[in-house]
Amino acid sequence: MNNIHQEQISEHMERFINMFHLYDVGLNGHRHEPIAEYRRNGFELLKSEDFPSRRDEDWKYTSVTPIINQKFIEAPKANLPSQPTLDFENHAIVFNNGHLSSQLPTIEGVEILSVADALKSESYNNWINAQLQVQSGTLKNTFLRLNQAFSASGLFIKVGKNINITKPIHIQYNSISDSNQTFITHPQLFVWMEVGSNAQIIEDYSNSGSEDASYFTNVVNRIELGKNAKLVHLKLQNESFKAQAVNNTIVSQMRDSNYSHYALDLGGNIVRNNLSIRLMDSNTLSNLYGAFIGFNDQHIDNQTFIDHAMPHCQSNEMYKGILADRSRGVFNGKVLVRQDAQKTNAFQQSSSLVLSPTAVMDTKPQLEIFADDVKCSHGATIGHLDESSIFYLNSRGLSENMAKSLLKRAFISEVVDHIENEDLKELAYAKIEDKLNLMKI
Amino acid sequence: MLEIRDLVVSVEGKEILKGINLTVRPGEIHAIMGPNGSGKSTLSSVLAGKEEYEINSGSILFEGEDLLEMEVTERAHAGIFLAFQYPVEIPGVTNATFLKSAINSTRKARGLEELSPVEVLKLIREKAKMLEIDEKFLKRSLNEGFSGGEKKRNEMLQMALLDPKLGILDETDSGLDIDALRIVSDAVNQLRDPQRSFIVITHYQRLLNYIVPDFVHVLHEGRIVKTGDKSLALKLEDEGYDWVKGGAEALI
Repeated sequence: MNNIHQEQISEHMERFINMFHLYDVGLNGHRHEPIAEYRRNGFELLKSEDFPSRRDEDWKYTSVTPIINQKFIEAPKANLPSQPTLDFENHAIVFNNGHLSSQLPTIEGVEILSVADALKSESYNNWINAQLQVQSGTLKNTFLRLNQAFSASGLFIKVGKNINITKPIHIQYNSISDSNQTFITHPQLFVWMEVGSNAQIIEDYSNSGSEDASYFTNVVNRIELGKNAKLVHLKLQNESFKAQAVNNTIVSQMRDSNYSHYALDLGGNIVRNNLSIRLMDSNTLSNLYGAFIGFNDQHIDNQTFIDHAMPHCQSNEMYKGILADRSRGVFNGKVLVRQDAQKTNAFQQSSSLVLSPTAVMDTKPQLEIFADDVKCSHGATIGHLDESSIFYLNSRGLSENMAKSLLKRAFISEVVDHIENEDLKELAYAKIEDKLNLMKI
Repeated sequence: MLEIRDLVVSVEGKEILKGINLTVRPGEIHAIMGPNGSGKSTLSSVLAGKEEYEINSGSILFEGEDLLEMEVTERAHAGIFLAFQYPVEIPGVTNATFLKSAINSTRKARGLEELSPVEVLKLIREKAKMLEIDEKFLKRSLNEGFSGGEKKRNEMLQMALLDPKLGILDETDSGLDIDALRIVSDAVNQLRDPQRSFIVITHYQRLLNYIVPDFVHVLHEGRIVKTGDKSLALKLEDEGYDWVKGGAEALI
């Protein structure tokens, strides 16, 4: 029995198994700490699975083989002498190569702990384990288990009842990549928003190591919004053009809660985002906004899933992308409206600008509606820069380049302008300008 | 200022302009009238540099330079301004951002110092007031959801801000009510000066009551068949184009 099982294990899974054994052996006297147990649970699930292939419907447009075929080493601890800071006040948390490299901020009414410490508390441990049971909207999602087995330095944030954090929490993930090695990191974030709480979180990925190095960032965020809680979640993904990034964000929303997700994908060679929202009760609002800009041979795949299980909930979804060179974009937006979810309002729109004949966009809206008294819509457009608009701007003295970059910015602005907080909006625009300025057409 | 010689232009193989000759000197206002399909809009588009037109023969000199060799942006920098018949709507670009970029890139190309955001805003406000344009208008997306009259006033605002040597109004009066027409005409009259010229393309004599031209040309089947002073416009209004058309055929 055991032998047969062994034979089925793929070469890449075997490498992860060996990697885990190294960790396990090194534990010595720490074997019974909750984090070790937690990781071992993840590992047990991991080794009984294999990674998805393009034959799996949810991974049809993105092959993960080039990612998992690499010979990874766990990224070592590293220090960066100076951290770029934001222009506005924030609570900063810094991870270098996946390792916590700053003090955790102290905020009244808020618990910020490492996952290892959070697991030591019985109630947090129970909550974390409950979160692990929340299904992702993406099937064959082996990356969740991989993250649990290997996440060395996860973060746990609990915002207490009716606490309003006015300054955004800025979580900075710096990779210091190395062209001689292929690093892997597993950022992990748990956010527990208690009843009536309010926060803004910026998840910010960048690389300050070698531009030519391949590295893989395998992220899992698990978020629960209690009744009447509100969370603004901005993700800025600016990895190097040789990197791979898989981001799983799984959100549960309780009654009257309000979750806004803004995802800006600018970097990375292979990027896959799985965003799942489960509406556990009535009168929730979910905003899913995404913008991506691809060039060279970047591949950016967004899969979203909204589970409308309860009546009177609203979801607004808009993804917009600009693709140049040989880049490829994918949008797969799943919306499930269950039979009980009457009076649901679910709107979905995806649009892209394809600027080169070799760039490709695949769009797949997927609405399944089992309730009869709902308002749902979806739309998808793929287009080019409008020639008559360029002519108009040129005739007013704007150069070809200025005209085009103004139009590209305008295209993305429909997403970014939904960010209510002016500081966050400006930050998003600054990142977009930086990327657009690198674009040649 | 502008010298058009024997200009022959076609679109998709079809000849639209069949030998246009026109000289515009500094400070002059030329009105070009003519029935639908006579080639009026083609002429304005060729001057601004729209690409889908094929220049078969002839030449255009602007201030002694070969205009046909210049890119659209260069023409704008050199001082040509076309007020569009159908201004393009551009969602996501605010009027203010657009005007700021247009003013400063034009100033830069003309060797003038770029204006600071405060100076630009001051300039825009001043000109907007002249055109009775509400300031809220500046925060809106460029031409998006503007009424016909608002779009045309916005064109005039751009013209006033970009300080051209030659303004071309392509049927700016079409579809305007009398108040909007007055505002548009006032803008042109205020911009009139001995160094600035205008070509006013219109269907209707009505506009020429407000903007008084030095010359009126009648365009018919791709040729200027008649040139006169402002009284020609009145005659066209009274008698229609038929007598001109007849004359044109007689000329051939």
